Amino acid sequence: MNEVAVAILALAPLLGGLAVWRMSGRRAELIAEISLGVTAVAALGLASVGLAGGRLVAFAGLISIDALGAYVLSLTAIVACLAMAASPRYIRHELAAGALLPQVEGRYYALFLWFVASLVAVPIVDNLGLLWVAIEATTVVSAMLVGITRTPEAIEAAWKYLILGTVGVGFALLGTLLAYASSVHLLGDSSDAMNWTRLMAIAPSLNPSLLRLSFVFALAGYGTKIGLVPFHTWLPDAHSQAPSPVSALLSGVSISAALYALIRFHLVAAAGLGPNFSSTLLIAFGLLSLAVALPFLVRQEDVKRLLAYSSIEHMGLLVLGVGFGGPLALLGVILHLALHAITKATLFISAGELVQQYGSRRLSRIRGTLASAPAAGGAFGAGIVLLGGLPPSGIFVTEFAIVVGGMMAGYLLAASVAAVLLALSFAALAFHGSRLLWGRTPSGVAVVRAGRGMALRLAVPLLAVALLGLWTPSPLADTLNYVRVVLAVHGG
Amino acid sequence: MIHFDPASAVRLLDTCSAGIVLVGILVAGTRSIGRAIWLVAAQALLLAVATFGVGVATHSLHLMVGSLFTIAVRGVAMPLILGRILRASAVRVERNPFLNPRLSLIAAIVIVFAAALAMDNIALGGPLDAPRVLPAAVAEVLTGLLIAMTRRKSLSIVVGLLVFENGLALAAFSLTYGMPFVVELGAAFDLLMVIVVAAVYSRRMLTVFGTLSTDELRSLRG
Repeated sequence: MNEVAVAILALAPLLGGLAVWRMSGRRAELIAEISLGVTAVAALGLASVGLAGGRLVAFAGLISIDALGAYVLSLTAIVACLAMAASPRYIRHELAAGALLPQVEGRYYALFLWFVASLVAVPIVDNLGLLWVAIEATTVVSAMLVGITRTPEAIEAAWKYLILGTVGVGFALLGTLLAYASSVHLLGDSSDAMNWTRLMAIAPSLNPSLLRLSFVFALAGYGTKIGLVPFHTWLPDAHSQAPSPVSALLSGVSISAALYALIRFHLVAAAGLGPNFSSTLLIAFGLLSLAVALPFLVRQEDVKRLLAYSSIEHMGLLVLGVGFGGPLALLGVILHLALHAITKATLFISAGELVQQYGSRRLSRIRGTLASAPAAGGAFGAGIVLLGGLPPSGIFVTEFAIVVGGMMAGYLLAASVAAVLLALSFAALAFHGSRLLWGRTPSGVAVVRAGRGMALRLAVPLLAVALLGLWTPSPLADTLNYVRVVLAVHGG
Repeated sequence: MIHFDPASAVRLLDTCSAGIVLVGILVAGTRSIGRAIWLVAAQALLLAVATFGVGVATHSLHLMVGSLFTIAVRGVAMPLILGRILRASAVRVERNPFLNPRLSLIAAIVIVFAAALAMDNIALGGPLDAPRVLPAAVAEVLTGLLIAMTRRKSLSIVVGLLVFENGLALAAFSLTYGMPFVVELGAAFDLLMVIVVAAVYSRRMLTVFGTLSTDELRSLRG
């Protein structure tokens, strides 16, 4: 039964992609939507065991989904559905504007589905080598999507992404091999010696110097995919040049998947070496990312790059929170991961609307959106407020938990610096956001009244994020706790 | 099963590693993009021979099959795909790289000696006691980065990336018993896809910019 669900999870997007490759129009959209729907249902079904605190194992241990894996898997499914729902409208507009060649329409949906296929593979495989294969596959497929418009800028962004992503993830392979090598004296040539469940079980007796080296390479490698400073340079380019629904996937789940991979290495390293080594590195790189993203947020000229740098900032915060450890900070991290993904995906989708309407990405040109595009503009404004962590946003709660949790875990200085940086980046976002909402609409920009479907697609995820700041339903609270137990390295 | 004793496997492995390092130096020192592509393919063949030899000596079927993937992807598909792009473009040599080939050659030699010194006496629990493999792997990883970072033409950058990947593959089986079979399969597929996507974008660069030079790729800032 589980095997069947895993097979559906893998085959629905792969075969759906093959089917739509040469299609166009409503047929391509429909097949893509159905494939993704089936994928999402399979994903949520598989995740249900882990979300309830159990562990699902399939294919003789090749697949192992615990609470953390199930959480990331469901998040991937949800954000993929949001991005798919926004795709037809976006792509039709691009086709009509001549930004996309007509024969590319089917390929867009095919690549989109394959991108999702690689993303859902990440949190379910037990083998660190396969984890690496899945992450590398996300890079290759999404690099095709980033440059799909074939503009000079898109080609540049895709090329940088492909090369830096491959080199970066190459280092993660070295890290994976070193983790494997650190176990060779215990496990020998057994086929499950690369499984993280196996490595966790014998972590204290792994070769410590190899394990240390392994984490450093994994940090640099998966850190590149997460967008941690100084490995982030490809991220603003790729996330801003991609078609907006793809940006939503990249900024919502692709970097979260890479963070998941890094967390697995952190957990193995912490179990083998004690928490200090990897936590200290995570805190350092997290703070660095928060600090470096800030000036780029302040001086940003491009609306999608603004969101991309904000992703670097939030990933920095998440990495910082994982480094802090401790129950409160970890709970914050877990919920923040989901809230950021959903908010950021919605922001990219509404920004995509605005960019198409205004014919420009420049923040100095996209003004007065509340008057000219009530739905997209309103969603963008609300999204910025939620993302910045103004109460009652759920993100206020999670950021507060991470900062206070860090202080309680004894990182007073790092947590205070993070709090100041978060406040400043909110100010930067609010500054850009307010001009975007209320400034004067440039002449020649037509007013767009969105249909009910789009308004709902934008409003529902944002309302959910806002609501979660006030109230956490008890099944979700239980799930958050199960995930926290997986993430806890000092038994906390 | 063919009999092949571990001592000869170690000799074969050491010889191939030395060959891989030598070819890496030649790639760093060549101006001709076509020659660089074939040299990297030759490097992959050496890698495959070494993998196959160790597979036979340790009776490991997945290493033997893995060596076939290496030949198929890195030895055959790669030069065919990149060669097509090269023929479609007017460019034949790396005209003004950030580091000229003679200096790259010297830098590559320095890398090899530095890796050998740094990795001296690091004993690992791999299947065979072949101490020269890991330094060779590290040297190729670094040489690949050097090439990828100092060239301007997209094909040369991919060549550097492949030297880097060959180093990783060598590391994979110097550190361990080679990766599990499914991982090997997935990694080979990923690498093939990287080469295909790099070729797709190189072709788009040719169409849009009329050149394979990555100098055109500098409009995104801040």
